[in-house]
Amino acid sequence: MTTATPLSRIVRTDWFGPLLVTIAATVLIGGFSPSFLSPLNIQVLLLAVAINALIAFSQMIIIAIGQMNLSVGAIGGLAAIAFAGMMEVWGLPAPVALVLALLIGIACGVLNGMLIAITGISAFVITLATLSIFKGINLGITRAQPFYGVPEGVKAFGTAVLIGPVPWLAVPTAVVAVALWFMLRRQPIGRFILAVGGNEHAAALSGISVRFTVVVAHAISGLLAALAGVLLVARLQLGQPSIGDDWLILSFAAPVIGGAVLAGGHVSVAATLLGVVIVAIITQALVLFSIDPFLVQVVLGALILLRWTRHRSSRRAASKNHSPASRRCAASRCRCCRAPSMRCSARTAPASRR
Amino acid sequence: MTSHDAPIAAGPQGDSLERDQNTLRSSFFLTNEFGLILLIVLFTVGFGAAASGFLSPFNLFTLGRTAAVNIMIGLSMMVVIVTGGLNLAVGAIGVSAAMFCGYLIEGLGLPWPIALLGGLALGAALGFVNGWTVVRTGLHSFIITLATMSIFFGVMIFLTRAESYRALPPVFASFGKMKILAYFSPLLIVTLIAALALSWLYRRTVLGREMLAAGARPEAAELSGIRVGRVFILCHMLSGVLAGIAALMLVARNGAAIPAMAGQLGQDWLLPAFLGPVLGGTLLQGGKASVLGTCLGAFLVTMLTSGLLLLQLGEFWIQSFLGLLLLLAVLVDKARRTYLARRNLA
Repeated sequence: MTTATPLSRIVRTDWFGPLLVTIAATVLIGGFSPSFLSPLNIQVLLLAVAINALIAFSQMIIIAIGQMNLSVGAIGGLAAIAFAGMMEVWGLPAPVALVLALLIGIACGVLNGMLIAITGISAFVITLATLSIFKGINLGITRAQPFYGVPEGVKAFGTAVLIGPVPWLAVPTAVVAVALWFMLRRQPIGRFILAVGGNEHAAALSGISVRFTVVVAHAISGLLAALAGVLLVARLQLGQPSIGDDWLILSFAAPVIGGAVLAGGHVSVAATLLGVVIVAIITQALVLFSIDPFLVQVVLGALILLRWTRHRSSRRAASKNHSPASRRCAASRCRCCRAPSMRCSARTAPASRR
Repeated sequence: MTSHDAPIAAGPQGDSLERDQNTLRSSFFLTNEFGLILLIVLFTVGFGAAASGFLSPFNLFTLGRTAAVNIMIGLSMMVVIVTGGLNLAVGAIGVSAAMFCGYLIEGLGLPWPIALLGGLALGAALGFVNGWTVVRTGLHSFIITLATMSIFFGVMIFLTRAESYRALPPVFASFGKMKILAYFSPLLIVTLIAALALSWLYRRTVLGREMLAAGARPEAAELSGIRVGRVFILCHMLSGVLAGIAALMLVARNGAAIPAMAGQLGQDWLLPAFLGPVLGGTLLQGGKASVLGTCLGAFLVTMLTSGLLLLQLGEFWIQSFLGLLLLLAVLVDKARRTYLARRNLA
């Protein structure tokens, strides 16, 4: 371990595999179909990556604390229609509406986090309930009708190009990616998040406020989901109530492809971003080779399965010396095959009860 | 055994749960089931008084028809929750089974009883795929079924070109429209039979007890000679069959097999699938199933939806109400457990 050369250190990182796949896929598809590397196609690709990356980050930060957030799509949809609705109905200027929409996202996330942290009920059930609540509010406000009155400025932002094929929409995503990386690497709260995901009891014993960390992680998740929703409004040029309906698989696919451990404590911003890129490239390739678009879902599902089977087999050797009996709930369980936290809603309970 | 390597609950929680169950047995009034019955009676009286059409034969008939499907969806999820896992693919499996049945009738011209069996067999087969993958990889069923949900639904849409099968034999539609005593749908009888069969399975048969034991503590079950992997696969197959039945009941109700009847990727079934078992007191950690509770929970949800629609409180807000209901239910359940645990300790 300590005698690692720089090269073998790079090979062992999470983002190395996905990067290889990305390069290989780009070369391969570009070779078969030169239009894949045309500026227009790259711009379309970047647009998809920009928004999907935010969705993936929103889920990734929750995976980092070993939970899951089913309500990512519902928060994004609610923020999106709030953004469009406030501009159309109340006539608010876009920046004010943007801030308010992001605040709504944070509030939704804080609500999730508080409910989970205070009650100790599994994140799965709580976010399933809030998913339904947020989506219901969305439908209640819009009555399932889109808001069409998005101001020209916002529409222009959605189609504007920064340099070459890089759209302006990619800028917020790039900023978020760097900020997340900085937070998870260098900031105390980022380390707290990873520590709580890695081992909640150990984190609590070393003086980290688990509840606060959980709430903060969910607030960030809500913020990112809301940002994704708002950017989607700019891109679609209208505030559609169905925004976010199909985010669930998307949000899990990219972090999982990027090697995030669902049990928590181990995520990588770069690898997740590459996961999004891989998904986008494959989706795009299916369209380019005029393969049925319905098969995109199949490919997404297969990618998740593939990644996990590989992950599993590569670490099987490591997990063999764990006898089943020693795999206690939060303690010395094999890291890669541990169930998500819903399996262990007891993880917080024993501590608070004793 | 690496199939489900996550132990369900750490020591303290497991003990208090067992104590919980002992207390529950002694006093029926503190159970989920009693609370649900109370709520159902309360809401029936309330809606009956507030909304004029609520107790009309027609409304009760449609209510029963919807409840039958929702209960079946809930049961389909419950049999997997028993293993401590979950099955996000219920919707996708159900729709695939129904579409396969439609294909057997329209595409191959098979008689409908064989086509029904074919559909259910596909449900079982897809359930087997889920169960086998979960057991063999040892991954949590959340991620496996998330992936297979996408795969099953994608393949189904790809093969059917998103077209419905509408020229089904009239026996489907007439079964969906049939009324017994002017109030009841025969679909309710199908559900009742399934529920009774499941209670019998969990109470009286070796296999059912093995499912509960394997769900509660896979390691202990393995040591006492239960083949946990096989039992888990059977649970997933059972879930697939029940999902198939639910979808076929929907086909009878609609008179056509429609690919979109469970929404995108079958996601529309997720909430009803979890509402029933969770309201009914089935533990998400596994090892405990309440068939009666699931039925009551799903029925309560259906009744609330119907009543709120009739009261015209805004049909678009209903999803929020259901979410709030789920939230309230888990909070009350949590409070009840804490209360019971505390009283026991004192």
